[in-house]
Amino acid sequence: MEIQYTSAQIAFRAEVRDWLAVNTPKSRLPSFDTADGFELHRAWEATLAKDRWGNVNWPKAYGGRGLDLISWLIFEEEYYRADAPLRVSQNGIFLLAPTIMEYGTEAQKARYLPPMASGEEIWAQAWSEPGAGSDMASIRTKAVRDGDHYVITGQKTWSSRAVFADWCFALVRTEARSARHKGLSKILIPLESDGLTRRPIKQLDGDPGFAELFFDEVRVPAENLLGPEHGGWAVAMATAGFERGLLLRSPARFQAAAARLVALYKAHKDRLSSSVGEQVIQAWMNTERFCAATYQLVSRVQAGASISSESSANKLFWSEMDRHMHRTAMSIMGAQAELESGLDAVDNGRWLDGYMFSLAGPIYAGTNEIQRNILAERVLGLPRT
Amino acid sequence: MDFRFTQEQQDLIDAAKAFFDGENTPERMRKMAAGEPTTNLWPQFAKLGLLGIMVPESAGGLEQPLVVMAGIAEAAGYAGLPDPYIELAGITVPHAENDELSGPIRRAVRSNLRPYIDAALSTSNEAVISIDPLRNLVKAQGGNDTAIDSINFHGAILTAAQLIGLSKRMLDISVDYAQTRHQFGKAIGSFQAVKHHLANVHTQIEFTRPMVHLAAMKGGAAVHNAKIAAIDTAMLAAESAIQVHGGMGYTYEVDLHFFMKRTWALCGEWGDRNYHMKKLEDYVLNGDAELGPEHTFKTHVMKSGEP
Repeated sequence: MEIQYTSAQIAFRAEVRDWLAVNTPKSRLPSFDTADGFELHRAWEATLAKDRWGNVNWPKAYGGRGLDLISWLIFEEEYYRADAPLRVSQNGIFLLAPTIMEYGTEAQKARYLPPMASGEEIWAQAWSEPGAGSDMASIRTKAVRDGDHYVITGQKTWSSRAVFADWCFALVRTEARSARHKGLSKILIPLESDGLTRRPIKQLDGDPGFAELFFDEVRVPAENLLGPEHGGWAVAMATAGFERGLLLRSPARFQAAAARLVALYKAHKDRLSSSVGEQVIQAWMNTERFCAATYQLVSRVQAGASISSESSANKLFWSEMDRHMHRTAMSIMGAQAELESGLDAVDNGRWLDGYMFSLAGPIYAGTNEIQRNILAERVLGLPRT
Repeated sequence: MDFRFTQEQQDLIDAAKAFFDGENTPERMRKMAAGEPTTNLWPQFAKLGLLGIMVPESAGGLEQPLVVMAGIAEAAGYAGLPDPYIELAGITVPHAENDELSGPIRRAVRSNLRPYIDAALSTSNEAVISIDPLRNLVKAQGGNDTAIDSINFHGAILTAAQLIGLSKRMLDISVDYAQTRHQFGKAIGSFQAVKHHLANVHTQIEFTRPMVHLAAMKGGAAVHNAKIAAIDTAMLAAESAIQVHGGMGYTYEVDLHFFMKRTWALCGEWGDRNYHMKKLEDYVLNGDAELGPEHTFKTHVMKSGEP
C-alpha cells in the first residue's frame, strides 16, 4: 500500500494549479440552466479544451492528455479548489464518452468525442419517460428501422440541460413487441431534428433545467446507433455505472463544499447551538471518507478491476452526504437561509441553490431505494422482491 | 500512489483470517461462555509468526506496517476472536523494548483510553465484569490520554479495524438469517424494509474501511475520523442485525450476541466517540486545519510552480 504521489503527479498538480489561477473566471458564472449562463459555460468548456484540460484522462487523439485516473482525481481536486465553473458538458464527458469509448466504432469516436471535448456539441440524456422512471425497463418510445434510418416516436422526460443542448443520447425500443430489458437500443439524436419538440420544465429554483422531449417520427441515420441493436440495456447499464460510480461526482466537489461549510460555521459561530459544530464535523468527515474510498476504488480500477455494484453504494453515500452537508448549512444560516439573492443573502444564495440541488441527488441516476435493492440483491444475495 | 494491499500483504491477511475463522468458531465461543475448556491458541499464534507481524526483521519479525496489522485486526474482529492477540501483537509488541522481544512480554502498554484490559496481559487483579461473556477484564494502569501518541494511535486504528470486521460479521449473519427465516410465505430478506437495513450497513462498511486504512498510513486527524466512522458503522450494524433477527436476536439461541457485545465493548475502548469528536472540534472548528480537496492524500508541502 502506497499513498504518496509520484513526483510526476506532484508536478502535474502544480501545472493544473497554475493554469487555473490564470484562467478561472473571477466571478461565478450565472446558472447553466439559463440561456446566457449556458453559453458562458459552453465558452468555458472551449477555454478548457484549448489547452487540453477538459478531459485529462481521455486519449490524446480526442483532446485529452492520456493520463491515468489518479491524475484525473488530482485535476478535480485543483479544479474545485479553484472554484472553477460546473461542467455544462458533464452528461457528455462523464456519462456518454466512456460509453462511446467502450462501445463506439472508430468512426463514432472520431465524430463525437472532439466536438464534445470542445463544447461545440453539448449532450443531454434521454432515458426516463412519464411511465418509465425507477422502472426504466418499461420504456415505450420506439424506433422503427426504415432503410438506412430509424424513425423515432414517443416521449422522454427529466432530460437535464436538453433545453439548450445540441444532442441527446436516448434509450428506445427498436424491436417491435419486445418486453422489458430486451429489444432496447441506444441512439444518438440531434435535438434540432424535425419532429422533435422540447418543452422546458422549471426546476425548484425556477430555471428550466429539465426538458420534456416529444418525438413525432423523428428520422435519424442508422449509423447513430451506439452499441449493438436491441442490446441497449447493457450499454445503458455501463453508463449508469459511470454515473453512480466514479466520474460524475468526484470527492473534490464535496471536499471543497465542506471547507466552505466550516468557514460558514465560523462566521456564524456565536449564535449557534453546540450541536451544530458536530454536524459540521460530520459533513467534513464524510467527505474525507468518500475521498479515501474513491482513491481505493481508483487504485483497484487501475489494477484492472471493473466497477459494478460499487457504484450503487457510492451513489447512496455521496447523495446522502451532500444533502446532510447542505441541510447543515441551511440550519446555520437561520432566517437568512430563505434569501435567494441580493442584500443579506449569504454567498448570494449559493447554499440554498446547493440544498435544492442536493435534494435531487437521492432521486436521479436511479433512486436511492433502487440502489438499496440492487445492493441487497446483487451484492448481499437476498432474494428478488 | 496505489491505495491497495500488495499481493504479499493480502496473502498474509488472508492466512491470518483463515486461522481465526478456523479456530475461533461459534462453538468455541459458546464453550468459552459456558466456562468449558477450549483450545489454547497462543502456541499457534507464535508458531504461525503472528506475534511478529510488527517486529523488525532484524529481530526475526515480518516488519509490516500498521495498515497490515489493521487488515489482520479486521479478520480478528470478523471471527470474534476473544484472545487479546491484537493488543499484544499490534500495540504491546511494537512499543516493547528490544530486549523484551526475545521472551514473553509481561508489561502492558499504559493508556487512560483503555482503562480495562484482558487479565492475561496485566499483573492487576482488580477484576471488572463485562457484558461480553468472553472478555476477562481487570482494571488497567493509567497512562497518557492527552494526545494521539503512538500507543493511542495503534489502539484506535486496531480497534476501529476490529469494529469493521465485527460489522461485516453481523451483516453476514443477518443476511443468512433473512434468507432462511420465512414469514408471509417467503424469506423475510425478500422484503424491501429488511433489504434496506442491510444495504445501509453494507454501504457504511465500504466507506469506513478505506478511512481506517488511510488513517493507519497517515495518522493525525484521520485517526479520529476513522474511529468515529467505525463506531457509527458498528453500532448501526449491531442495531440493524438485532432488528432483522427479531426476537431470536435478543437471546443466546443465536450467535449474534457475541459480536454485538464485542462491538459495544470496543466502541468505548481506545477513545470513545466523545474523545475523538472533541479532538476534531479542536482541529476542524477551532484550529487551523488544512481543509479542502487537495489535502487528504498530501504528504508533501507543495508551492505553486514546483517542482
